[in-house]
Amino acid sequence: MLTLRALAHLMAYPNAPMQEALPELAEVIRNEERLAEGPKQAVINLITELQDQPLGEIQEQYVSLFDRGRHLSLHLFEHVHGESRDRGQAMVDLMEHYRLNGYELDAKELPDHIPLFLEYLSTQDETEITDMLGDAMPVMVLLGARLEEKESAYAALFHALEAIGGSCEQARDMRELASTEGPDETITKMDEIWEEEQVTFLGNNDPAGGGCGNTSPGAATTPTDEIPVRWVDNPGAQAAGQR
Amino acid sequence: MSNFLDRLTFFKRHKESFSNEHGVTVDEDRRWEDGYRSRWQHDKVVRSTHGVNCTGSCSWKIYVKNGLVTWETQQTDYPRTRPGLPNHEPRGCARGASFSWYIYSANRLKYPMVRRHLVELWRDAKKQHSDPVEAWASIVQDPKKAQSYKSRRGLGGFVRADWQEVQEIIAAANVYTARDYGPDRIIGFSPIPAMSMVSYAAGTRYLSLIGGVCMSFYDWYCDLPPASPQTWGEQTDVPESADWFNSTFLMMWGSNVPQTRTPDAHYMTEARYRGTKTVTVTPDYSEASKFGDIWLNPKQGTDSALAMAMGHVILKEWHVEGKSDYFDDYVRRYTDLPYLVLLDEENGNTVPGRFLRASDLADDLGEQDNADWKTISWDENSGSLVAPTGSIGFRWTETKGKWNLEQKTGDGRDIHLRLSHIDNSDEVTEVAFPYFGGGGNPHFSHTSHDPVQKRRVPIRTITLADGSSARVASVFDLMVANYGIDRGLGGDHVASSYDDDVPYTPAWQEAITGVPREKVITVAQQFAENAHKTHGKSMIIIGAAMNHWYHMDMNYRGVIKMLMMCGCVGVSGGGWAHYVGQEKLRPQTGWAPVAFAMDWHRPPRHMNSTSFFYNHTSQWRHETVKMDEILSPLVNADDWNGSMIDYNVRAERMGWLPSAPQLSRNPLQVAREAKQAGMEIKDYIVQSLRDGSLQFASEDPDNPANFPRNMFVWRSNLLGSSGKGHEYFLKYLLGTENGLQGKDLDSIPNAEKPEEVKWRDAATGKLDLLTTLDFRMSTTCMYSDIVLPTATWYEKHDMNTSDMHPFIHPLTAAVDPAWESRSDWDIYKGIAKKFSELCQGHLGEETDVTTLPHIHDTPAEMAQPKDVKDWKKGECEPIPGKTMPNMVPVERNYPETYNRFTALGPLMDNVGNGGKGITWKTNDEVEFLGDLNGRVTEDVSTKGRPKIRTAINACETILSLAPETNGHVAVRAWDALSVQTGREHAHLANSHEGETIRFNDIVAQPRKIISSPTWSGIESEKVSYNAGWTNINELIPWRTITGRQQFYQDHLWMRAFGETLCVYKPPIDMKTIDPIMNKKGNGNTEIVLNFITPHQKWGIHSTYTDNLLMLTLSRGGPIVWMSEKDAAKAGLEDNDWIEVFNVNGAITARAVVSQRVPEGMSMMYHAQEKIVNTPGSEITGNRGGIHNSVTRAVLKPTHMIGGYAQQSYFFNYHGTVGSNRDEFIVVRKMKNVDWMDEESGDAMRTEGA
Repeated sequence: MLTLRALAHLMAYPNAPMQEALPELAEVIRNEERLAEGPKQAVINLITELQDQPLGEIQEQYVSLFDRGRHLSLHLFEHVHGESRDRGQAMVDLMEHYRLNGYELDAKELPDHIPLFLEYLSTQDETEITDMLGDAMPVMVLLGARLEEKESAYAALFHALEAIGGSCEQARDMRELASTEGPDETITKMDEIWEEEQVTFLGNNDPAGGGCGNTSPGAATTPTDEIPVRWVDNPGAQAAGQR
Repeated sequence: MSNFLDRLTFFKRHKESFSNEHGVTVDEDRRWEDGYRSRWQHDKVVRSTHGVNCTGSCSWKIYVKNGLVTWETQQTDYPRTRPGLPNHEPRGCARGASFSWYIYSANRLKYPMVRRHLVELWRDAKKQHSDPVEAWASIVQDPKKAQSYKSRRGLGGFVRADWQEVQEIIAAANVYTARDYGPDRIIGFSPIPAMSMVSYAAGTRYLSLIGGVCMSFYDWYCDLPPASPQTWGEQTDVPESADWFNSTFLMMWGSNVPQTRTPDAHYMTEARYRGTKTVTVTPDYSEASKFGDIWLNPKQGTDSALAMAMGHVILKEWHVEGKSDYFDDYVRRYTDLPYLVLLDEENGNTVPGRFLRASDLADDLGEQDNADWKTISWDENSGSLVAPTGSIGFRWTETKGKWNLEQKTGDGRDIHLRLSHIDNSDEVTEVAFPYFGGGGNPHFSHTSHDPVQKRRVPIRTITLADGSSARVASVFDLMVANYGIDRGLGGDHVASSYDDDVPYTPAWQEAITGVPREKVITVAQQFAENAHKTHGKSMIIIGAAMNHWYHMDMNYRGVIKMLMMCGCVGVSGGGWAHYVGQEKLRPQTGWAPVAFAMDWHRPPRHMNSTSFFYNHTSQWRHETVKMDEILSPLVNADDWNGSMIDYNVRAERMGWLPSAPQLSRNPLQVAREAKQAGMEIKDYIVQSLRDGSLQFASEDPDNPANFPRNMFVWRSNLLGSSGKGHEYFLKYLLGTENGLQGKDLDSIPNAEKPEEVKWRDAATGKLDLLTTLDFRMSTTCMYSDIVLPTATWYEKHDMNTSDMHPFIHPLTAAVDPAWESRSDWDIYKGIAKKFSELCQGHLGEETDVTTLPHIHDTPAEMAQPKDVKDWKKGECEPIPGKTMPNMVPVERNYPETYNRFTALGPLMDNVGNGGKGITWKTNDEVEFLGDLNGRVTEDVSTKGRPKIRTAINACETILSLAPETNGHVAVRAWDALSVQTGREHAHLANSHEGETIRFNDIVAQPRKIISSPTWSGIESEKVSYNAGWTNINELIPWRTITGRQQFYQDHLWMRAFGETLCVYKPPIDMKTIDPIMNKKGNGNTEIVLNFITPHQKWGIHSTYTDNLLMLTLSRGGPIVWMSEKDAAKAGLEDNDWIEVFNVNGAITARAVVSQRVPEGMSMMYHAQEKIVNTPGSEITGNRGGIHNSVTRAVLKPTHMIGGYAQQSYFFNYHGTVGSNRDEFIVVRKMKNVDWMDEESGDAMRTEGA
């Protein structure tokens, strides 16, 4: 699916060859039927913006958006696992997944880099695209919402992905999170975020009523649940430091 | 009823229980475990460590799967200790473990970065100039262009760049700077080589090849305790942590062992289980306090008062009353207490002067060779004056073999030195001692004792060489008087009881420290009694908290004196255990030739950073601390004019301290001029300095000719962490937005300006190019022009050692450097290559000339024996190497820089190797390295030389050349020392002669090193490493004037500033509060607190406090601790946003209100990055600063002394130090917390996690 490859290029660090190829990319986007007029136009607007500005300027903007810090990191697992040790295994699993589907990494990048991920999907069939993109959708929605809050034209890329992959059930929460967190939710609401929650005995708020047995001791017999191949439960909450 | 039928005869039950019925064997399906098994699968396990500035130096297992680091665990395979001693492992703390995910973190630097504005200027210039050097010139020579990118520093605007382009910019800038201004205008800062010595060496090797300047760090960090070189002639040498276990009385004095020495703390707790008594001394209720059987909490900064009072008790009970033969014998043999000091008349007082020397006596007392440098004592055997062997004069004589502590004279007579002359004095005289406890900072308690304390001392009258008579006293008798102990000699200012209020009694210190006298007496008595019974097993672990004060020498000397009086130094389980940032570089003498390219050129350019930054960040332009404020009341203040910078300039031109940039013109040009004039370079420079046509650069720092122009920072967060006077750096060195509040001396009415330094309009933006190598976007990176992404500690090959454990172990590349990052070695190799290309046509074979101070452990340390004479004032002739720095020509071949970088040079064959005053041949090792690393085969000038192409080549070179890792070299080194001492030492290494450690060996397992004369302890299966062990047991002198441990410091400047003996000096008044307090009010109450910056709990030194795990454990941003009482005064509650400020700048942070902190003090853990959650300042209007935004450096003249035995310069060894704890701040609640996120172009923009 060339559209995904085009989106991957648009999301990558802008360089001269990419700038030259922008008309070609625009063509692919225009021909994409799964994009409604609104999202399509937004991507075209980004392309126009990338075309009109001097390369240095768009590079500087790109660096200040994506190369600094976690908030808009283009690595999926940054938003899922952060600095947890689960991230290593998740990356290993994702690489294995690419390999099983016939692709090996040929760049000095991590397997969860979104443009790379999109390029992989661009070679896959609809089922794979729907599955994988669907899994990653909460992160895409969150990033799109955050970019929108920043009034960045790059938001269009993530909205387009949402349109292609189908949104996710958490989308509303994500967007609300992004809009209320403002540019620095973690700072203005630092106290609430870092406040330790009251201990509630395995989620049971009424220890006298329910005892502490509502998690089955047999849970440990299904440890595959613990293996971090699942992308995300609630990336927004994690990203904002709420655990 | 019998149970006969219940029992089975032929069977037993399969499902048996075990562990006293706690366990039972079952046969359930265990396939569920496979999930975990596959979860923890890995392809390989690699050994590495966290090469951070932490003395832990723990070895880790790195698990790798499919080329990705998946997790890490602690290594547990340290060679075990001897029986009876706990093992080293487990080592490795939670902070270290949190590093793992940095590799793939969003904060990782992934690509070379350059500020867009600069790179666009560059690309435009390249269109105009085909030669990159001319392109660079066209940018920096155009003031508008230069200012346009310099003023954007710290304001973001980076773009990614490719390696080729940034290498070209850097190399072009270096070539241009060396050509037009001089190679000594190119400087590099990187700290603590021990943590990753090859990465350090990469940069310094490049700099040293081109003639750039390597900047010191240990002194700049204020981790160097000047008391150590003063006392022992040694930078810092300390016991390994395992030796704590051997102590039977352990004090932790200003050292938070469980928090800051986490992997080693177990030896302390294990010692306690064994019954060792522990005493903790900290002003706050720190993590260490709870480990103390006794906790003393003196007011911060007054520790020397406490130590002096303890010394008073020990000296009185054990020495004056003569209770311990062990102590008595120890101080006679191993300290300067029996040595004689001349008494001078000054301002109507009799004052202690310099040591009596052989040259003062008739016929030089038969010791003509270096008679100025042979100190004199009284021999009880012969009843006459003698010059015992071992003094510095014996070290550098033609006839070797008498530099030892054998208790003999030069002609071989046995001697027994007299400690006190109280029983055979010629008279008892009142000698004046200075007392400083009435002055200093107004926020500390003062006492009203007389600044001149006259105390009676028994003295001898002797006849000098010229026939005149002189009065002398022993150091012991002077010291007893200085401590204020009544010996029945009458007179005032002495105490017969501990309750007398006389300096330095336990009663006296109560008013200053707040510690009850009973506790002081108890601790002192037990400390000494334990040492007496165990022959020295009382130990003091001491830390930065004591050393970061302006008068740190007094804190340290006070403590060291207690140890020396009790015979603890050089004894396993005893002594001085200072662990602050030095991290012992064990294979030092193997590393130094690689690091400083001494295989190609000698000497390298070394600079003491404190003086450098004080000068070149123009902190001197704001100096309001006057030298007469710290002068001894015994001297005539009119004789001691000048400001802080004046003293430093004098020290530089007398050859005491190094200087950089060195001369006021390009040294390549100076050498050319000398050639044209047909003169020797040395003579030409002397003539030019004398007629004023040439100067030292430091005399005119605001002259563009003297700017440091290019700077490299690697393995360091200079601007986010150690840069005392942060805002001065930003304003003057970088020329960008800053929060400096104070005005310079031009704007202060009647301010006295320096005498020795030319006052011009302030120069700003001195640096043309700031290049930083890092693996994360640190504060320093944010202010740099070019940022180069380095390999992390799991992505490169390197080596690591510590003073805390006896091993050398590696960093190895578990995975390739991620993204575009490269190892430091490869980065500098690449720059060297580009430099070699671009210099063609600009720089060829050139004669460079370096100015070299009088270096410690060389004969130059005897440059200036008795008086201080300044050639510039006409007090003496300017003689290079004697009364001024030496001038040493160095032949460079610039186009050969890359070839030389990658090959071992011929000086190793021709001149050999060595360290600390001894040299040995190393031809065998060069030959071996050729075989091991391979030889250069290409047809270049280095053809046939051993290769140093890769980091592993560099590791092998270090390991082969160092005595610590090559037994053959160790034996040779000990033999070389034997020539000087006349004693056989090689037995310490003979059994290891065949032992050689290769890189693969340390990859397999951490290896113990071999004993070498570089260090004063030994590596042995019988005794733990402890400093001074070889001095005591091998009778190798300390590298001091007397060859003994120095209680007394006799240099003229030590006398002038009242530090011949230890005294109490209160913190100084930095004067940073009054000009700003209550002048920029926001309506909230302002209070004044002392500002302390301890080692972090939630980060490791200057590195990774921006890691989510650490941020989660702390409060997610900058915090400042204060007491409940102070918080109440300022109307503050815990977690309120506060502003912390003074004339130096401002910080915004959260208040942590805690009972831990005593009233009047605040604490901010150092190196909390301003890139993490720092709001705008109401004072500056900019984003709040870092902890060093409210500090600045202040220099102390006594640290500048040079050419004087133990007080001689060596890199990171001796020199000015960057203290910062005398600083006070104003604290108030913030009114508006402004995150400044709307501001475009603010690179410190807070980052949503």
